Amino acid sequence: MKRPIAGAALAALTAVFAVAASAQDTIRVGAPLPMTGPLSPEAVKQQRGYNLWAETANAAGGVKVGAKRMKVEIVYVDYQSNTPRAVQAAEKLITQDKVSFLFSPFGSGATKAASGVSEKYGVPTLAATASSAQVYDQGYKYLFGTFTPNDTLTEPLSDIVRKAAPGVHRVAILARNDLFPLAIAQEMEKSAKKRGMSVVYFEKYAIGTLDHASALTQIKAQAPHWIFATGYTNDLVLMRKQMADLKLEAPVITMIAAPAYQEWIDATGKLSENVTSAAWWHPAVRYKGKDLFGSTESFVKRFQAKYKTLPDYAEASAAAAGAILQMAIEKAGTIDPAKVRNALASFNETTFWGPVKFGPTGQIVSLEPPVFQIQGGKPTVIHPAAIRQGELRLGVK
Amino acid sequence: MLVLQVLANGLILGGLYACIAAGFSLVWGVLNIINILHGSFIVLGGYLAFFAYSIAGIHPFASILIAAPLFFALGYALQAGLINRMIAAPVLLTLSLTFGLDLMLANGMLVAFSADFRKIILDPPLGVLSVGPLVVPVDRLTAMILALALTGLLYLLLARSRIGRAIVAVRMDREAAALMGVNVKRIYAVTFGLGSLMAGASGALLAMIFPISPLVGPAYLGKAFVICVLGGLGSVPGAMIGGLALGVVESFGALWLGPEYAVPLSFTLLILVLIVRPSGLLGKRGYE
Amino acid sequence: MKRDALRAVAMFVLIALLPLAGDSYWLRLGTTMLMYGVLAISWNFIGGMAGYPSFASAAFFGLGAYAGAVAQKLGAPMGFAWALAGAAALVFAAALGVALLRLRGHYFAIASLVVAEVLRELVNAATDLTGGGMGLNLPIPRLASIEGQAMFFFYAMLALAALAFAAMLAAMHSRLGFGLRCIQQNESAADMLGVNTTLYKVAAFMLSGVFVGVAGAIYASWVHYIEPPDVFDVLYSVKAIVMVLIGGAGSVFGPLFGAALFLSLEELVWRNYLQVHTGVLGLLIVLLVLFLPKGLISLRRRTA
Repeated sequence: MKRPIAGAALAALTAVFAVAASAQDTIRVGAPLPMTGPLSPEAVKQQRGYNLWAETANAAGGVKVGAKRMKVEIVYVDYQSNTPRAVQAAEKLITQDKVSFLFSPFGSGATKAASGVSEKYGVPTLAATASSAQVYDQGYKYLFGTFTPNDTLTEPLSDIVRKAAPGVHRVAILARNDLFPLAIAQEMEKSAKKRGMSVVYFEKYAIGTLDHASALTQIKAQAPHWIFATGYTNDLVLMRKQMADLKLEAPVITMIAAPAYQEWIDATGKLSENVTSAAWWHPAVRYKGKDLFGSTESFVKRFQAKYKTLPDYAEASAAAAGAILQMAIEKAGTIDPAKVRNALASFNETTFWGPVKFGPTGQIVSLEPPVFQIQGGKPTVIHPAAIRQGELRLGVK
Repeated sequence: MLVLQVLANGLILGGLYACIAAGFSLVWGVLNIINILHGSFIVLGGYLAFFAYSIAGIHPFASILIAAPLFFALGYALQAGLINRMIAAPVLLTLSLTFGLDLMLANGMLVAFSADFRKIILDPPLGVLSVGPLVVPVDRLTAMILALALTGLLYLLLARSRIGRAIVAVRMDREAAALMGVNVKRIYAVTFGLGSLMAGASGALLAMIFPISPLVGPAYLGKAFVICVLGGLGSVPGAMIGGLALGVVESFGALWLGPEYAVPLSFTLLILVLIVRPSGLLGKRGYE
Repeated sequence: MKRDALRAVAMFVLIALLPLAGDSYWLRLGTTMLMYGVLAISWNFIGGMAGYPSFASAAFFGLGAYAGAVAQKLGAPMGFAWALAGAAALVFAAALGVALLRLRGHYFAIASLVVAEVLRELVNAATDLTGGGMGLNLPIPRLASIEGQAMFFFYAMLALAALAFAAMLAAMHSRLGFGLRCIQQNESAADMLGVNTTLYKVAAFMLSGVFVGVAGAIYASWVHYIEPPDVFDVLYSVKAIVMVLIGGAGSVFGPLFGAALFLSLEELVWRNYLQVHTGVLGLLIVLLVLFLPKGLISLRRRTA
């Protein structure tokens, strides 16, 4: 009985590891993504961005590397929304699939975890969805991120609110106890205090919380002027509904990150009206870039032609990561990892994503993230001034 | 004042919890099977109501009537065709069986519906009811009343009907019931069908309240565990009391300890209750 | 016993030669297989031998991972942190065992399942010490080379698996193993015959905790980033059980073979059925339970 089992195990193992040969004139980029599990909607977005870049680059003949042109191939691996599995996937991509470059797994946590691997092997890595400064302050040289630090979202937001509604000084913060949602809530606390507002409530809720009534009842008792809540789509759909259930209203309600997604607006309906949010990019921004997409408008057009929907910041960031990598390779004239890394470190160009320049830690320092508000069921940019579509409206019911 | 509002929140939440757990408790008590599928059935019921409303405009309260027979049939077939084969197997095997089935169902829903969160938005909304300074959302209140009514109906069915008495008889003594001419396997299938019916119907109700996604099944399952242990196995009134208790405990836990402790508090309670009273707070045999 | 021991030595020597054959991906896979082996062997003490359906593996694993990681964060050397994690898991298992092992069947299963949930939320809430939802980064060990690191963790996990295996072999051929099998067959009768059932069960539970705790700590050092939902993942408990079921509960080599087979299946399914791999895994479990229960039980009878 045992022998057949051992035999089967061996046979299965050998069947699995018949590795495909790698082609010589393609650039292989590895992308570990959470294609199944709780984060799977995010993986779909990332994949859309990466694929659009690869197809656009290949349609133009490929990436110019010195004298020749090389096609791009993205190697995807599913890590099941499980962070250690993301680390494994990154290592597998580097050692088994022999990729030359890496796109980080989703979010700050997994990016931070996997950055150790790409640093270990010296593989230039672009992080399309990692904002927390803690991801970049590890002294790594091969990690570059397209999201500015979290305070670049809360600072302009606080300025706008301060200016439009000087009476707003009581702030209540409710944050999902998770890397990004908690980090941005802590930044909000700092931004509020810096401007002399008092934070009257600051609590965390556990991942998977099914009921926010108690927290919201407590917030209501504090009569805040500004409610700042963080979480993902499901959290903030439920929370927004329960706010209405408890007749909790305030001049300003900000939610991050869900309102940047159409899915959240659909699932909250009229309750989304006048909720403010901020993100790193918005399809309404206008930049003239030197990348393969040319300008924000033409990027949005291409994206819409392919996917029949407007791109959100996560999708755009993934495409931007590809575009930036391509420009760095073309500048370096080689796919040698150390040289491409140096090209990224000294990168200073404008793209459809915005001006791109990486700071000493590898995190982008040149971007000014837009602030927007849901008005008439649509996200409306209210900052920065150059691309403003409307003014901040007060009062959320 | 704050305390009163939190109590109201807790009781309403608890009513919904009771409905989540009643069918689960019945199956566990009668069949001695932990139905890991229960959480995913609730989600599936939610999708049914969601699509019924968004495509055909059928109100979620009405879609309970569609969900009930469908889920009864689904549960009956599953038990008669599959789980009955394993009914006498050790705990570990039956648990693994429903766990494996749950992985399949959850994955199937993921492929069919994607992981996007959706929610039924009633148009026009039902609004809120103000009683003095207290506010109570009407959709939650109605859902809670319907949930308790469903649970009550289940109780009446078990207490009064012929098939209900047979279920109780099997629950209390399988061998004796078999000797009295009860077709035990059929009773198992009916019981599992009733459990699924409760899951599907409560899912349809909850779709107005909670966002649905194939990934929230385990959260409902976790609540069902706690409620069953609090209320005692297989007892429908127990599930009702356990559900209300859990809703209130979570609400006050979140108020006094902070929202991040609401979930661990309920699980800690489960372990403590088991240590002190291994048969649950209200544990007793039968349903009377 | 001697024959089993000799076979085991031969097998572990063979596994130890693996680094000669493969690159670092193979090493990583080998390390994972040994970790799964530790999980399966450990579960065998309480689930296979005593017949208690424990779902506590995830709790021990996460506890060990965080104990080791926090100790290292506070400056403890790696080896010491691992030992500390083992000790933490041992003490925790003893306390938990005394409280929970009075429960039977489903009640025990659920209580042990929920322990991991409670620990996860506590770790999540203790942000100052554990980083909470932000996760915890461990120092990357300053070892000679990349290959050296991979090799180091492979052999660490190999040593742990060998240790766990030796403990299981010793337990099986001692009074403890005899007592546990009595408990599995008829606990009340064993009690009446003068077997100190509580002591035996708690001992088995401690054995099922300590190695998993160390495995968690090694794992944390190995992947150098942990977060609560990952190390307290209920799937660690479920996988341990499935692996033992595949290989034969209560048997000597069953858990290890189960671990090897399960990992290969997992990799196979993961690579080939991306969108439906959890469903395929579920189907495998269902088929295993439906069509092999006789085989599994007969395996158990044969070795018991």
